[in-house]
Amino acid sequence: MDNLEALLHGFSIAISVQHILLMLLGVFLGIVVGVLPGLGAPNGVSLLLPLTFGMQPVSAIILLSSMYWGALFGGSVTSILFNIPGEPSSVATTFDGYPMARDGRPTTALATAFSSAAFGAFAGVVLITVAASWVASVALEFGPAEYFAVYLLAFASFVGMGGTPPVKTLVALAIGFAIAAIGIDTVSGSVRLTMGVDELVKGVNFVVAVMGLFGIGELLIAVEEEMHVRGVNSKVDWREVFRTVGNMPKYWWTLLRSTAIGCWMGITPGGPTAASFMSYGIAKRFSRNGANFGKGEPEGIIAPEAADHSAGTSALLPMLALGIPGSATAAVMMGGLMIWGLNPGPTLFVDQKDFVWGLIASMYLGNVVAVLMVLLTVPLFAALMRVPFFIIAPLIVVICTVGAYSVSNSYLDVMLMMGFGVVGYLFKKVQYPIAPLVLAIVIGDKAEDAFRQAMLLSGGSLRIFYANALVTTLVTVAIILLLVPLFLTMYSKVVRRS
Amino acid sequence: MSLTARYVAACGVSLLALTVGQAKADWKPTKSIEFVVTAGPGGGTDNFARAVQNVITKHKLIDQPIVVVNKPGGSGAEGYIYEKSQAGDPHKVVFGTSNAWQQPMVAKLAYNYTDLTPIAAMVQDEFLLWVKQDAPYKTAKDYVAAANAKAGGFKMGGAQSKDTDELLTRMISKEAGIKLVYVPFKGGGEAAVQLAGGHIDSNVNNPSESLGQWRGGTQRPLCVFNSKRLPKGDKITATESWSDVPTCVESGLNIPMFQQPRTVWLPSKVTPDQVTFYINLMKKVQEQPEWKEYVTHTSQTSTFIAGDEFAKFIKEDVERVHKIASEEGWLVSK
Amino acid sequence: MVSRRNLELITALLTGAFGVAVIISSTENGISWSEEGVGSGTFPFLTGLVILGGSIVNLVRGAVSEGGIALHAPEVKRWLGLFVPATLFVAFIPLLGLYVSTALYVFGSIAVHGVWSNVKAAAFAIAFAAAVYILFEWMFLVYLPHGWLGSLLGW
Repeated sequence: MDNLEALLHGFSIAISVQHILLMLLGVFLGIVVGVLPGLGAPNGVSLLLPLTFGMQPVSAIILLSSMYWGALFGGSVTSILFNIPGEPSSVATTFDGYPMARDGRPTTALATAFSSAAFGAFAGVVLITVAASWVASVALEFGPAEYFAVYLLAFASFVGMGGTPPVKTLVALAIGFAIAAIGIDTVSGSVRLTMGVDELVKGVNFVVAVMGLFGIGELLIAVEEEMHVRGVNSKVDWREVFRTVGNMPKYWWTLLRSTAIGCWMGITPGGPTAASFMSYGIAKRFSRNGANFGKGEPEGIIAPEAADHSAGTSALLPMLALGIPGSATAAVMMGGLMIWGLNPGPTLFVDQKDFVWGLIASMYLGNVVAVLMVLLTVPLFAALMRVPFFIIAPLIVVICTVGAYSVSNSYLDVMLMMGFGVVGYLFKKVQYPIAPLVLAIVIGDKAEDAFRQAMLLSGGSLRIFYANALVTTLVTVAIILLLVPLFLTMYSKVVRRS
Repeated sequence: MSLTARYVAACGVSLLALTVGQAKADWKPTKSIEFVVTAGPGGGTDNFARAVQNVITKHKLIDQPIVVVNKPGGSGAEGYIYEKSQAGDPHKVVFGTSNAWQQPMVAKLAYNYTDLTPIAAMVQDEFLLWVKQDAPYKTAKDYVAAANAKAGGFKMGGAQSKDTDELLTRMISKEAGIKLVYVPFKGGGEAAVQLAGGHIDSNVNNPSESLGQWRGGTQRPLCVFNSKRLPKGDKITATESWSDVPTCVESGLNIPMFQQPRTVWLPSKVTPDQVTFYINLMKKVQEQPEWKEYVTHTSQTSTFIAGDEFAKFIKEDVERVHKIASEEGWLVSK
Repeated sequence: MVSRRNLELITALLTGAFGVAVIISSTENGISWSEEGVGSGTFPFLTGLVILGGSIVNLVRGAVSEGGIALHAPEVKRWLGLFVPATLFVAFIPLLGLYVSTALYVFGSIAVHGVWSNVKAAAFAIAFAAAVYILFEWMFLVYLPHGWLGSLLGW
């Protein structure tokens, strides 16, 4: 129970008037940058970083990590209300969150998202508290082959869910892979697929693609319907918030499963994005309400949100224990650690007890602060849905434009975003699935890098994918997940015939 | 552009810098300054830019605010290409390494280092040969012997492809006559973790990239690629500090010197006073105690190469890299 | 009026063209799989083949499909009413800068509906552009384009 004692010590450091104020400030700023697409958590944290140079490391990390929590919560708001995911990890939240909000239940959608996110984050912190050293040693087992297997698993659990013609899914997936390959290739250092546009050497940023595919694409779909003068009729009802939170235990199994997936992906480190997609895919496959997914099913919000936040939280652990950041924001914070004079690595837990346990204690407190603050804002955000379409539509176009531009101050990105908007519209109109496309853009190049690194290590032989128990298990599970739906459809066809 | 043309251009720039040195520094930034980092957050170049920002902000060396922007796309090319497009704007300062001139040689990019105005090289990062803690070899000589004995050679991890890490790997394998399979990762931190997990045999990380791992007992350095040992500093492990790491020549691997400069640039078409302003500013930065702390903390070597000297430095490095790159078949036709 | 079949064909042609571009572009990077590892063009080449092959299948299926009407005339009109101004807004950013374009675009989009008075719409549009300015350039130090007009005014 050394850890518990250390944690209590951590609380004694984290609970002070100054630190609580820093948490409130951090969470507030985090919600602001999270809600505004294009700013995002990594941006916000790096902007705050210079302010922390003069602070105590504990105070500094409390401010930055609170901002991180705030931004994680804020990122779900635009996903649910306007179908614009500000961060890769909130894409899966749009699948059911947005339909539910459009259906006139924005309050329920937001409250469901926030409470399951809080549950996931809490589980992530508990994991860090009790199993820090074990987790660090597990992460070391992951070489390129294992990384590839993890990405394969994420694809396998998500792709092949049916609903759209398989050839169209395949085309969407392959386009995503090709887009991910644009730019400089890590393994060879050469420039790929820029097709004569010099600036494309930087690659196509995910935010640019998503602003177009989801934000603009959805507007182009929505404008066809006659909904011009009125907004969505939604009541601002505080009781609905409490009712939704009170209903959460009903979904205990989805919560637990999604959190487990999230923690595991955060550690391995597949990251929050892969975690949320995988969790959504698995929930859809195994839920009794699987058919309702995509139409505003609460489980379709709970699964990605709980997984996203538990992964986002447990991703801080590899950062502290090994010095590998599990997310872009964690990477900025790691830069901060160095400047404050701390070295992330195996000994941080031994050398800097006050810092580490102060941080862990502040994760508990910061999350409580964050969830209370966002739950309070739910009715306000939900009221945004009542703004009529003819006003909100140009504002969304401007916000997506600003978001795409500010990713790397590039006008090319704005033009790309408009192009993605048209593609998103066409795809939706003729039933090409967008989700596999986005998943491939986000983790396609990582999967390819891992595969080719593994091939360098093995001298071109695929034997490396069944060289040890870990990688063999991962690959086998992935293949089973890929084949199960195939067998199920074949089985049901046979049954129908006989 | 031919190589000679590049030299001429580089010399032109250095002449400019020379006249600059004598001109009076009248210019001052008139709006907020953007520090463009040609790497992702958390890496060596990012820490370098943020350390400079830290010193300037703390000592109020400029009145205008500084914003750090990461442009890591295309292994840093995104940042340089952006800088090229900002010609004439002295409020965009780009921070990089020797990849500013090395990368255009090995990849088809829409810029060359002659499209930028060099300000200074402020610090040299060191390279060490790292192996797993429980590896049997104690010296570079043992390492070479073991690599020779193993069929298929050793696996060497590193950051990026055809950049400094791979360059050094090729130099080692040539000097020692061993086969090294180079496996590129996104960054040095990842290469360190892969070594700790035993997925590769060695890497050539910078001190700051592997410090935590050494202290934590997952890996140790065999030798440093410098003609002198590193300064002593604090103890890293219970018994050892940086100065206990032998030079690679001492340890039986004849590569006397390999360093990576961290460099600062302005866009092209800036005026001489603007260049002087930044040269003086960076000099002032180096005099502050926080800068010294940063240098010691990351075990780099402080240096200040600007103006003429910097142009000569770049020219020599271009020649050296060009030779290795053409032997390896890395060069791209322009 | 736009038929569903036409939309299917347009999409398949677009994806097919992208597939061809990927295939051509990736052959420049070298396709190989040997002891030395996997060439950098290999996977893009394979994905290019998948895109092209899939597009051909979708094209054939689209051509023989019945489909019916996907968009009626009023829908097309509404669609263009959103898309054309948005494209113009983006196109005018390099010239007028983001803030002026935003104000004009928001004003135009709202005023054309006639629900709000022109004065109200103009006030709202200017306030929104100002809010974007304050939020991004002041609070978060993210600089958005000021355009040719901005540089003309020395901004």
